[in-house]
Amino acid sequence: MEIDNIVDLETIKTNMHAKSKDDALKELAELLLQNEYISDINGFMTDIYEREAEGQTGIGNYIAIPHGKSNFVKEIGVAIGINEEEIPWETLDGNGVKGVILFAVGNDNEGSQNHLKLLSLFARKLGNDEVVEKLLQSKNPEDVKEAFGQ
Amino acid sequence: MNIVGIAACTVGIAHTYIAQEKLENAAKKAGHEIAIETQGTIGTENELTAEQIADAHVVILAIDVKISNRERFEGKRIIEVPTEVAVKSPNKLIEKVEKIFEQSNQEREGK
Repeated sequence: MEIDNIVDLETIKTNMHAKSKDDALKELAELLLQNEYISDINGFMTDIYEREAEGQTGIGNYIAIPHGKSNFVKEIGVAIGINEEEIPWETLDGNGVKGVILFAVGNDNEGSQNHLKLLSLFARKLGNDEVVEKLLQSKNPEDVKEAFGQ
Repeated sequence: MNIVGIAACTVGIAHTYIAQEKLENAAKKAGHEIAIETQGTIGTENELTAEQIADAHVVILAIDVKISNRERFEGKRIIEVPTEVAVKSPNKLIEKVEKIFEQSNQEREGK
């Protein structure tokens, strides 16, 4: 089991220029749709916003982890966006956000224990300052993948 | 100091594990032994053993939801915070835990 399997180069976007949280979420959800992780953008976004309403997903250090469980998720995955400018976001340290990690997880995870396990290991990496620092400096999807490979 | 604890957030996908990583790193950096159990969507992982709990000086509960098997910590010194405190300022939290530990030791000696 490798974290590599959860980080998909096709769902990573660097040098993004999203101006708002909504822009960033839509851009990343689009990637998830194109690569068949989700079946519907609007439905998925509604579920993500439900979690956003419950509390801050900006964890500080310019990172946000929007997530939620959604019936529109076909396969567990993550989309990662690295934005050039800070995006206004509700965060624990009051700063904006440059790295957005959008989690896609279904409501019924029967048979997905392996993927969930990978996702938890992946999430853990976001608690590591060195990983985050490297992540934010990523210039292309390969850099992002490498940051999580540490 | 020996620390055990539990991390559990509302959705059980992200904050739980970030809190675990941050608490472990902060405690180790300060020279403590630490073990954090996670209760998330995937279920309980890194489950604390009876021995780990018995040896622990302090229990940190970084939780946003009701956890299972809380009674294991009965009689222990428990510090409960929301997961975001562990995510936002893990080093400060560990410092606070150290102070609480020292104070209660002094109280014990004073008796």
